[in-house]
Amino acid sequence: MQKSLANNSLGKKLIAPIAILLALGMPLYVRGAEYPLMLACIIQLYVVAVSGLDILFGYCGQISLGHAAFYAIGAYGSAILHNNLGLPILFTMFVAATLAALVGAVLAIPASKLVFHFLSLATVAFGEIVYQFIVHSPGGITKDFNGIFSARLSIFGFEFSTYRLWYYFGLACVIVFLTAKYFLVHSKTGRAFTAIRENSHAANGMGINVRKYKVMAFATSAFYTAFAGAMYIHLVGYVHPDTFLRKQSVLFLTMLLFGGTGSLTGPILGVISVELLIESLRVLQDYQGFVYGILLLIVIVALPGGLFGGFKNVWNLLAGRLGKRRGGAGAC
Amino acid sequence: MLTTDKVTVKFGGLTAVNQVSVHVEAHRITGLIGPNGAGKTTFFNCISGVYRPNSGSVIFEGNHIEGKKPYQVNRAGISRTYQIINLFKKMNVLENVLVGMHPRLKSGYLSDMFRTPSQRREEKAAYERAYEWLKFVDLQDHALDPAGSLSYGKQRLLEIARSLASTPKLILLDEPAAGMNSKEKEELDELLKRILELGVTVLMVEHDMKLVMGICHYLNVLSEGKLLAKGTPSEIQNNPDVIQAYLGGE
Amino acid sequence: MFLRLLISGLVLGGIYSLIALGYSLIYKASGLMSFVQGDVMTLGAYLGLTFYRILGLPFVVSLILTVLCAFAFGMLLEKGVIRVLLNKNVLPIYVVLATIAISYIIQNGVQLGWGSITQYFPSVFSKSSVKVLSVSVQPEALLCVGASLVCMVLLHFFMTRTRFGTAMRAAAMDPTAAYSCGINVSMSTGITWGLSAGLAAIAGMLIGPMYGVYALLGSMIGSKGFSGAVIGGYGNMYGAMVGGILLGLAEVFVTGYISSTYKNLIAYILLITFLFLKPTGLFNERAIQDD
Repeated sequence: MQKSLANNSLGKKLIAPIAILLALGMPLYVRGAEYPLMLACIIQLYVVAVSGLDILFGYCGQISLGHAAFYAIGAYGSAILHNNLGLPILFTMFVAATLAALVGAVLAIPASKLVFHFLSLATVAFGEIVYQFIVHSPGGITKDFNGIFSARLSIFGFEFSTYRLWYYFGLACVIVFLTAKYFLVHSKTGRAFTAIRENSHAANGMGINVRKYKVMAFATSAFYTAFAGAMYIHLVGYVHPDTFLRKQSVLFLTMLLFGGTGSLTGPILGVISVELLIESLRVLQDYQGFVYGILLLIVIVALPGGLFGGFKNVWNLLAGRLGKRRGGAGAC
Repeated sequence: MLTTDKVTVKFGGLTAVNQVSVHVEAHRITGLIGPNGAGKTTFFNCISGVYRPNSGSVIFEGNHIEGKKPYQVNRAGISRTYQIINLFKKMNVLENVLVGMHPRLKSGYLSDMFRTPSQRREEKAAYERAYEWLKFVDLQDHALDPAGSLSYGKQRLLEIARSLASTPKLILLDEPAAGMNSKEKEELDELLKRILELGVTVLMVEHDMKLVMGICHYLNVLSEGKLLAKGTPSEIQNNPDVIQAYLGGE
Repeated sequence: MFLRLLISGLVLGGIYSLIALGYSLIYKASGLMSFVQGDVMTLGAYLGLTFYRILGLPFVVSLILTVLCAFAFGMLLEKGVIRVLLNKNVLPIYVVLATIAISYIIQNGVQLGWGSITQYFPSVFSKSSVKVLSVSVQPEALLCVGASLVCMVLLHFFMTRTRFGTAMRAAAMDPTAAYSCGINVSMSTGITWGLSAGLAAIAGMLIGPMYGVYALLGSMIGSKGFSGAVIGGYGNMYGAMVGGILLGLAEVFVTGYISSTYKNLIAYILLITFLFLKPTGLFNERAIQDD
């Protein structure tokens, strides 16, 4: 009993997400499947971004409607450092993400005392403020409304010039970030996050410095999403500030809720399903946004657990019949 | 071990706790009793850091702790349970205890994220220790059940296990017997004795007189925010003011 | 210069007040944040446009019709979406997301219904400008200020002097107690949402003649309107009124005297500053609990 308690089944837990992502990589083996391959790459970086949001919201219970701001800091940060200082790309990605983490930490210090609705407003305000600084940047460093170009990813001179190549980079990133998330979540820090979500008053009483941990959650989450932003710009080579409007923050949240919070696979399922939904709605052209809004509303009202919340309930019911019901902070 | 000196708490015009001075001896079970609304939980909250007293001080092992935040009070060695159950309902029983162990675990953010060998060792030991705590309150069979799925009495036991996990010097129990049946109360009586054997001092708010009179070494009686009387159980039982407060007040 | 800015500030402030009022009313009544206010304002502008320009009805009639439509919309929203979700006991985040979904529906829907180019909202008055203390002003601007003030005053009287308004306040303060007094809390909440929508619609019709009507008309103002509500104390009706006006004045004066580049930043900076430093707002509304 003791041995299985200290849950070291990382390998087991990673199987599902890796399997899904490999399935996603099917286009690799199909000739001429450029667009689906690009989509797969986008999905990978969204998985990193949404996993970050999951750490903050799914595990620590802190809402953020302004995560696009971190996405922006990562993208613009890495691009500017590379373009203007000539620093190697992978390095700039890390630096930009770290910068975002610092910003997240600074934001979290006062924000940690805000309760749900007001925290959401603070994050909305934060998101808008960052957007304004992007489109009216000091010295035009972000090229304001024109958007910014940057080089495609290259590491130590090796250029990831095709989506096919980039896909492997994306896969590596997803594995690294998900592993780190798994470690973090199944640890003292992760338990502190979950305790804060469940009952921050009691968490405080149990010796957890709630503010410090909220700051950690924000910083971690910011790092993830920012890194994803950097992944984006060095995948596509260009980004327009419209990518960082509030609807991007809402998109991250939607993907997270659709797939289910507090797990490794949730963000993956959520990203894939929402991306596929959006892609399939493209046919509708002018009606795209309208139908998207309606579908979103219908899903929320009819299936408030999100698509996979509904499926999860069915799954749990079956699992309950088959074996002893288990609870846990990080069900996978 | 713990002394409060004229602690006063006011909420607007209402004085909930009025100049209460109490002394808690180490290695004893001290009770805090009184009619409903006497201010017992508010007083507890002053000790555990939830409230800052308007005046007066709380001194624990020679240090002032009044006004400190709850997590700081916890780290100083005082743990508590709550009147309304405050478990982490969606976490499992074992994890609840592990959270209780938080201040005693040394690993930091980075060693958690990279799962260093020392962190792995510490986690393994922590899980084993947490399981021991569950055995201490006889909840080990429920280790992986969600805390919210336990019966009321078992949830109260889990709260106690969780608060013991930080190896406190003093534990504040807020109505631990509430909602328990008589068999559970007998087991609680026995559990309290075992807690004492561990070297943990107990300060307990409780309404069940049979339990209180049987297990407490010393009692403090609160009524309408003021300390009405203090003494051994037999002294208190025969104190006319106390009798008056209970009969008159309710 | 100062006078011109003052009037602009009051105009903008009036609009913000109407939006902020909606937010505070909804929060007081349902404990929720609605992200649709701005888009209801857009909808109000489009509806008003339809009645006034396309159907050729008199302005006042158009206004009343628009408000009625918006009121119905607000009530429908509360009953059909919000209440349904609340009854299912979902996490509050889903309610927020639902209101955001509705805002997407409106933003895209109006483009489908009326086209995506900015529509022209004809002037209400025959004169194109009026002199106020030696400053030329659009008469619509004065209408804006006046109408906002009238709304606030009417709302004040409704809430404090009428039986119905008092019932609504009771229902917001303590639904259980109100219910046991025989107040129909559910109806009251629905009316609150309807009222908020109505206020937003009025704001839309007032601003339409000045800025033209387009899909994102209200969305920015709706976002910034939160700031007005927080400044005054989120949930406090009078706070929202004052907060909105202060916000409008702040935005206009900073733009006028300092710089216009960061015009949109002001509201959000104020919002975040108040949230961090004085979350209860100017009127000290104890809505926010600490950890």
